[in-house]
Amino acid sequence: MLHVPGDPVTAVTVQVEINKLRYGENLILGFSIGGGIDQDPGQNPFSEDKCDKGIYVTNLTPDGPAEKAGLRMGDKIMQANGWDMTMVTHDKARKILTKKKENVVRLLVTRKSLEEAVKHSMCKWTKQ
Amino acid sequence: MPAEVKQEQSPSNATSLAMMQEPQEMVEETVTIEEDPGTPTSHVSVVTSDDGTTRRTETKVTKMVKTVTTRTVRQMPLGPDGLPLPEGSSPLGSYTDSIDRRYMKNGGDRFITPQATSTLTRSYNNSYNDSYGETPESQYIRHYGLHDGYADLTDNYGSLSRGVNFRPPRYPYLPSNYRPENSYTLPIRKDDYGHVAQPQVPMGSSTVDLNRSQPERFQPEPYGLEDDRRSLGPEEEEPYELEPDYSTANRRTLQGANRGRTHREPLRDGPRVRGYPDESIEAELIDERHPYIHGMYSAPLAQPERGSMASLDRMGGRRSPSIDSIRKDPRWRDPDLPEVIAMLGHPIDPVKSNAAAYLQHLCYENDKIKKDVRQLKGIPVLVGLLDHPKSEVHRKACGALRNISYGKDNDNKVAIKNCDGIPALVRLLRKTNDMEVRELITGTLWNLSSYEPLKMVIINHGLQTMTNEVIIPHSGWEHEPNEDSKPRDAEWTTVFKNTSGCLRNVSSDGAEARRRLRECEGLVDALLHALQSAVGKKDMDNKSVENCVCIMRNLSYHVHKEVPGAEKFHDPSALQAPGSAGPQRKKKDDAGCFGGKKAKEEWFNQGRKNGENDKNYDTLDLPKRAEPSKGFELLYQPEVVRLYLSLLTESQNYNTLEAAAGALQNLSAGQWTWSNYIRATVRKEKGLPILVELLRSDSDKVVRAVAIALRNLSIDRRNKDLIGSYAMRDLVSNLPSGQQRPAKNLEEDTVVAILNTIHEIVTDSSENARSLIQAQAIEKLVAINRTSQSARETKAASHVLQTVWSYKELRNALTKDGWNKSHFQPTVTTTPKATKNGKPSYDDTTLPLMEKNQDGYSTIDQRDKDCRDCKYKTGDGSADLTEREPLKNDTNRKHYIRSNRPAVSLVDACDVKPQPVDSWV
Repeated sequence: MLHVPGDPVTAVTVQVEINKLRYGENLILGFSIGGGIDQDPGQNPFSEDKCDKGIYVTNLTPDGPAEKAGLRMGDKIMQANGWDMTMVTHDKARKILTKKKENVVRLLVTRKSLEEAVKHSMCKWTKQ
Repeated sequence: MPAEVKQEQSPSNATSLAMMQEPQEMVEETVTIEEDPGTPTSHVSVVTSDDGTTRRTETKVTKMVKTVTTRTVRQMPLGPDGLPLPEGSSPLGSYTDSIDRRYMKNGGDRFITPQATSTLTRSYNNSYNDSYGETPESQYIRHYGLHDGYADLTDNYGSLSRGVNFRPPRYPYLPSNYRPENSYTLPIRKDDYGHVAQPQVPMGSSTVDLNRSQPERFQPEPYGLEDDRRSLGPEEEEPYELEPDYSTANRRTLQGANRGRTHREPLRDGPRVRGYPDESIEAELIDERHPYIHGMYSAPLAQPERGSMASLDRMGGRRSPSIDSIRKDPRWRDPDLPEVIAMLGHPIDPVKSNAAAYLQHLCYENDKIKKDVRQLKGIPVLVGLLDHPKSEVHRKACGALRNISYGKDNDNKVAIKNCDGIPALVRLLRKTNDMEVRELITGTLWNLSSYEPLKMVIINHGLQTMTNEVIIPHSGWEHEPNEDSKPRDAEWTTVFKNTSGCLRNVSSDGAEARRRLRECEGLVDALLHALQSAVGKKDMDNKSVENCVCIMRNLSYHVHKEVPGAEKFHDPSALQAPGSAGPQRKKKDDAGCFGGKKAKEEWFNQGRKNGENDKNYDTLDLPKRAEPSKGFELLYQPEVVRLYLSLLTESQNYNTLEAAAGALQNLSAGQWTWSNYIRATVRKEKGLPILVELLRSDSDKVVRAVAIALRNLSIDRRNKDLIGSYAMRDLVSNLPSGQQRPAKNLEEDTVVAILNTIHEIVTDSSENARSLIQAQAIEKLVAINRTSQSARETKAASHVLQTVWSYKELRNALTKDGWNKSHFQPTVTTTPKATKNGKPSYDDTTLPLMEKNQDGYSTIDQRDKDCRDCKYKTGDGSADLTEREPLKNDTNRKHYIRSNRPAVSLVDACDVKPQPVDSWV
């Protein structure tokens, strides 16, 4: 998933639409995220090269809104409601996902299984 | 406060006051309330916000007051319930009712009813018109309202306002009875007047301004990194443009409107809406109340006003309706300006204060009268009154001075200074505890501070006093904090706003001014405390915060050169050839997180050895401090970085954003230990993403300040890598493409700043140059180079292109994209052919501020300065940077950097402690 800033990112994505669940005062999506450009990518269990600082889905609440919507553990979130998620800090990602005003979150996610299905030529690796 | 003076307002105020039992409090509330319905609040605010100076205050208050008053008067007679009271209620009853009503209104809903609005007009009209067309009785009614007010206050109330409303009516009817009493009026007034007037004044200026000004604050004020420009700018540009819209305009409109109607049906508008039969109502009211009035209030009260103030109103000429009536009565005439000024020296204090108040009113937004007052030698007299023991007198004098000092006519300001007005103001500031007076004083000082030659005078006389009397107490900062008490928050009072505005202006007066402010005891500490409190309370959009940040930015300017003992911190290696980092630093660095123990950070070390600037980021060994820093040292302590970043993250105020970015820019300029540390701290505090995000701001000047800050930050090698990787897209997106400007339509200065920043980033980093290419920048750069109308843009773009072309390893890719060498050559028009080795020859005019023998970084600072001056001459500073660092190492460096790129991110992982990996959402 490495890419050079400025390059368009090419990825196979699926759209996942999650309806937030009201939980007390909070709206919850039912998953947790890891990663972000301020995080140590080496600790990301889901990225291949340990260099990816994207936002990954690290956990799902069983039967939660996210899981129902088809999100899977290890998915990399590319966009959320149109916001770029490939180059954001962890906290920023959290903020984008938890906007109180928005009841629905539409994610563009990519996952390895999808990627492999369409493997060739879609990914632009930065390192030549 | 200034407003009170105005004729229109005053009448209404007076009325309302009179009615209320607690005049002061009530008045205030009334005023506030009324603003909304009667006068467009926005107008007022506009004025205030613009200048950054106090002047605006003048008009607004007045209007507001006006409105209020009117309503009160009218409503009561007409019928509190919205119905004509007159029929059922007895005079007394109605009276009481009205009072209550007002109160309620003040406290509660504030005149939401349609009546209120209409009322204003009505009352106006009534006073004027009534005298004319209506029957004597109707006039009485009006008087009556006034009288009530008096009763509470004691008789005097005589303020200016009253005069306006009342005069006309009285003349026709009461002349014989009242006159004798008139003569008494003056003395009586003193007491009452003072009380009454005070509430009005403060209210207008303080409350009103604050509220109103807020929305408008964000108006662009042109100022550079340091505030120099700004101080001048606001006065000259903004206030004037705005003025017409505001109070003056409104006022006139109102009057005009009223006039038209006034003559025959002044008040009816309000009632009509509701379908009242106005005339009948009025008549009835008159009848009923008449007796009451007579008993309670005697003519004498009314008269006093006449003598002093009432006549004055007319001078302004604004009150046309009354003028007419006045003219008909040969006995009355407005005092002319010399007479008013002569009254300032009247032995009776109330006359003095009334004359001063009237002057204030006359001067409001009237440059001609201000000038006349000056030429008639009125200013020294007013200044002399500042030392008058009676608060009413010095308050009014101060109000007049504030209005006179406002505006672009700097001669007025100089006149105040020439008669020692500044020390007198400062003296009064020390002496008085009256909030309103303090607002007036600081407002006047703010106005004065906008004129360059007066800045140092203000500093000499007032700096420590303003700091001790206003800044420190209002900031919540305590010299020796009490252990029990928790730190106090700043109070964003008008006084604080005015004072900080004044200091903001004077802080731009060059090195000496900066030195004085830095060394002013407690100032920097208090400002920082105030800002921290603002961040803590998330209240960062107001004008006071803006002023504080601007002061901080200005004081941060050239801090590495001007601070006492700065030499000690200068980087000995800074002047040496790049690459030779100071040994002491290196040592610390190795011991730190780059010890090379971790394999994954190996590249950092490689990069560092390779990079010439790497010395910049191993700045961790700061001189240890035995005691906490204080005073000006706080300016450049790394702790401030977090403060500025918080402001950059949270504030919505463009001026604040710009100033905070400018502060970081100033702090990260220069080559001394602290700037090294600041640059590293910005990175560690995750400031780079914040700054990069602000490149998308809609505000031109924010983009510019951020771009320059990024350039200075990229002196730090690691910052440069990070910025090159992650900010390039946003930088490039701000560039115009070809002839079209981007949506933002950035100014030339901004475009040049961005180009220079890009140049700095790609210099010595072929990797960053590659990012630039990948960001599709070449097309834009070539377009700018070829077609831009601006020579400076062209030149800056050309420098970037030449630098990019100098990386031989990139030429392949460039050629593949269809570029050839000619695209990277300076265009003939702008740069003569003399540029043989890719370095264009710069004509010296573009580089006036760059001294060739300075270290490369000073250019950056100079650029700051240029920015401030708007000239931005040093745009070419980048050329020096290019020169400074030969390109020969490129190949190697590129290798290292490239291989390590993945680890580079906007936030350095190794600088930051690992954060929680997961967040549930």
